[in-house]
Amino acid sequence: MTAPSGRRSGRRVLSWLLALALLGVVGFVVIRDIGGDQPQPAAPIVVTGVIGSEKLAFFADQRVRDVFRANGLDVRVDPAGSRQIATTVRVDDYDFAFPSSSPAADKLLAERPAARTYAPFSSPMAVATFTPIVDVLTQAGVVAPGTSAFDVHRYLALAAAGTRWDQLPGNTAFPARKNVLLSTTAPCQSNSAAMYLGIASYAANADSVVADPAAAAAVVPAVQPLFRDQGYLPPSTEVLFEDYLSAGMGRVPMALVYEAQYLAEALSPDPVLPAEARLLYPRPTIFSRHTLVPLTPEGDRVGSLLTTDAQLIALAAEHGFRPIDPRAFAEAVRNRGLPEPPTLVDVVEPPSYDTLEGMLTSLGCTP
Amino acid sequence: MAGAVVVALLAGCTSGSPAGPGAGPSGEPVTLRVLAGSELADLGPVLDEAAAATGVRVALDPVGTLDGAEAVVSGAAAADHDAIWFSSNRYLALQPEAQARLGTATDIMSSPVVLGLRRSVAERLGWVGRPVTWAEIAAAAGAEQFTYGMTDPSASNSGFSAVVAVATALVGAGSALTAPQAASTAPALRDFFAAQTLAAGSSGFLQDAYVRRATGADPGEPVDGLINYESVLLAMNAAGNLPEPLELIYPADGVITADYPFTVLAGASEEVRDAYRRLTEYLRTPDVQRTIANRTHRRPAVPGVAPAPSSALVELPFPGQADVVDALLTSYFDKLRRPSRTVYVLDTSGSMEREDRIGALRRSLAGLAGADPSLTAQYRRFRGREEVTLLPFNSLAGNPQTFTVAEDDPGPDRQRIADAGAALQAGGDTAIYDSLESAYRLAERQIAADPDRFTSIVLMTDGENTSGADIAAFRAYVGSLPAQLRGVPVFCVLFGESSTAEMEEVAELTGGRTFDARTVPLAEVFQEIRGYV
Repeated sequence: MTAPSGRRSGRRVLSWLLALALLGVVGFVVIRDIGGDQPQPAAPIVVTGVIGSEKLAFFADQRVRDVFRANGLDVRVDPAGSRQIATTVRVDDYDFAFPSSSPAADKLLAERPAARTYAPFSSPMAVATFTPIVDVLTQAGVVAPGTSAFDVHRYLALAAAGTRWDQLPGNTAFPARKNVLLSTTAPCQSNSAAMYLGIASYAANADSVVADPAAAAAVVPAVQPLFRDQGYLPPSTEVLFEDYLSAGMGRVPMALVYEAQYLAEALSPDPVLPAEARLLYPRPTIFSRHTLVPLTPEGDRVGSLLTTDAQLIALAAEHGFRPIDPRAFAEAVRNRGLPEPPTLVDVVEPPSYDTLEGMLTSLGCTP
Repeated sequence: MAGAVVVALLAGCTSGSPAGPGAGPSGEPVTLRVLAGSELADLGPVLDEAAAATGVRVALDPVGTLDGAEAVVSGAAAADHDAIWFSSNRYLALQPEAQARLGTATDIMSSPVVLGLRRSVAERLGWVGRPVTWAEIAAAAGAEQFTYGMTDPSASNSGFSAVVAVATALVGAGSALTAPQAASTAPALRDFFAAQTLAAGSSGFLQDAYVRRATGADPGEPVDGLINYESVLLAMNAAGNLPEPLELIYPADGVITADYPFTVLAGASEEVRDAYRRLTEYLRTPDVQRTIANRTHRRPAVPGVAPAPSSALVELPFPGQADVVDALLTSYFDKLRRPSRTVYVLDTSGSMEREDRIGALRRSLAGLAGADPSLTAQYRRFRGREEVTLLPFNSLAGNPQTFTVAEDDPGPDRQRIADAGAALQAGGDTAIYDSLESAYRLAERQIAADPDRFTSIVLMTDGENTSGADIAAFRAYVGSLPAQLRGVPVFCVLFGESSTAEMEEVAELTGGRTFDARTVPLAEVFQEIRGYV
């Protein structure tokens, strides 16, 4: 494995430089032609994966595709909720599954033992919002003045009281007759909502990870309304974040997303972040560890490349993910002249898969 | 480059896919069979271009919201479809069985459901250029300051979204509706729905009826406005055939937005999933997104394609539990909406004697009385407070039987209607127009006694007129009707050997429409008509 990828790395760099120089179709044809000149398999092997939706843009990036192609792989992916991946999706149709967190991967692994799994990058849960909302939240004591820290305890107190935006004192910027609630995805389907459940249950459990059925049962009354009161929830974090980007404050005043989704926009050549976009970090937050479970040898190659290929690591950082090696992430942020994201100290672990499942069942999720 | 498949993407993604997706991996064009909302027909040209660009053709199979949801949940949709494409998956997602039936969903475009009002009426109400809430709209409706039309919420998502938005704004507390709130009959809700003077089982009929009434082509009273998708209202303004443009009112307390998720069904083959990926990727390229926005007036789904909306349109929470939605719809039909008065003019001439005719008629009435347990039929039954008259006819109009369905316990009254239907006997000639005139005279007396109802006539005949007045006499009769009867539409069921031309003329003269029960079971047609009465 190591030798061929080393031999190919020179060509990859060349391809990449050419692609930069000769944009679009020209670049594409050139890469293909170069590929044709080299002793490379005529057609790449098609590898299919089912992935958490927030990684779609990464896999769709032509540069990422080119790296895989240079390694003889044509990677095609379908997005699905991480819990769906762990439960209802027919994973037999795929070469790999790439849910967004370790609990979902653990579940898959229990049923489909793989020789190894890959966790090439992670991303903390964050709150995508707007400057006027940050001001209102600061006045309400949820955001510490001048920081990006979102106080989960204070927020839970507001939510528990059924406070509406138009009831917050001094709120003229967003007087919506709607409860102050973080917009989330459906916890029954999507990992980001399950991570939010992890955060909220930690806070509701006197700042301790919920670890047994009794504690889980005790926090359900506190966490259930956070989802139920929102009504219908989007199935994937990708849809939620896109609503945040395109529909604006009225639809999604504050959304619980992956830091990577927001940073990917900020880092892209033509970001489409709203003018007043802001990113907050819940205190505490949880790191979502994106974990690839290989289902075939080809799927294993995808995991291996994501973990070891320097270009893929750099591209993952450009898509806002935090690779295992923090330098790639710091460099991507620095290269775009963005302020370095705050060091997150108040980080907690997600509950185990079984505990999480227990809480989800209490919330009405069917297996 | 058969393999040049790029997956759906975030707008910031730079790939742009200049090489363009080709035909399927095998090089063969693929056709996706898609169960879809009827309003997607306006994407025809875009989908033709998509087929040329991607090799993926789309065959849209139109169906109503609830019928579609039911087909997905039961698994029937998967038998002959690859994907679904409705204005929203929200209702569907509430059905516990649905999740396992659905694969990837990709939003393509969006449009909020809002109120469009004739500009002069919006100005008279002082609603131009300032925020207006649903509460203000309900108050004006209750004070009879304007009228509007909307689609039947069991047939069409725009009407469904309107009912959810209005109830959430008027009785909700800032979060998603609860079951007790959904069952509310608060005065503001009754006020709001009291101003609805035009009902329709489809968005297309609603627009046509609005325009025809506004221009005087239809005998009914003009209506002041419509609740519909922003895109439909903008298109009506752009079509240039309205005597007066519609002013769009975006309620400040919130709307429900359709997001058009194109959704591949679970268990689709790799070929289908690949075609689906290529098609959705194409539909989400910025140029195609702009084309969709320009042609259909819907908003692009991909961020950054359109300028950010200037004002924050608040999105109301959509109920997250099926029982809440069911309680809401039941309350709307049986308690909130303006009650209906329907005169069923039913052919019981000798030609109806066959079991597949009189029997089908009896079963159709039994279905409306509650014998059909399906999701859709549950909202097409005779409704609480409805006034139903059965007027059988042969050589002459027979004895009418009128039933008023109880608001709180509709079951026994529905059963009485079914029993009356079961007692119908066939024999004699076919006096269609004499009987229709009888129905109008009957409606006139009923309207005089109780004017505040939707009044309609349903005509079911299996043959040509063989007795009494003819179509020319009926034409003259309609011309002589007083104003309040001229607005009473006749919905004609084409059945057996009935005269299509005459039935269409009757519908045209009265502002109704025809329904074809020669190719579709009579019971289904009787249910479909319920959306219009």
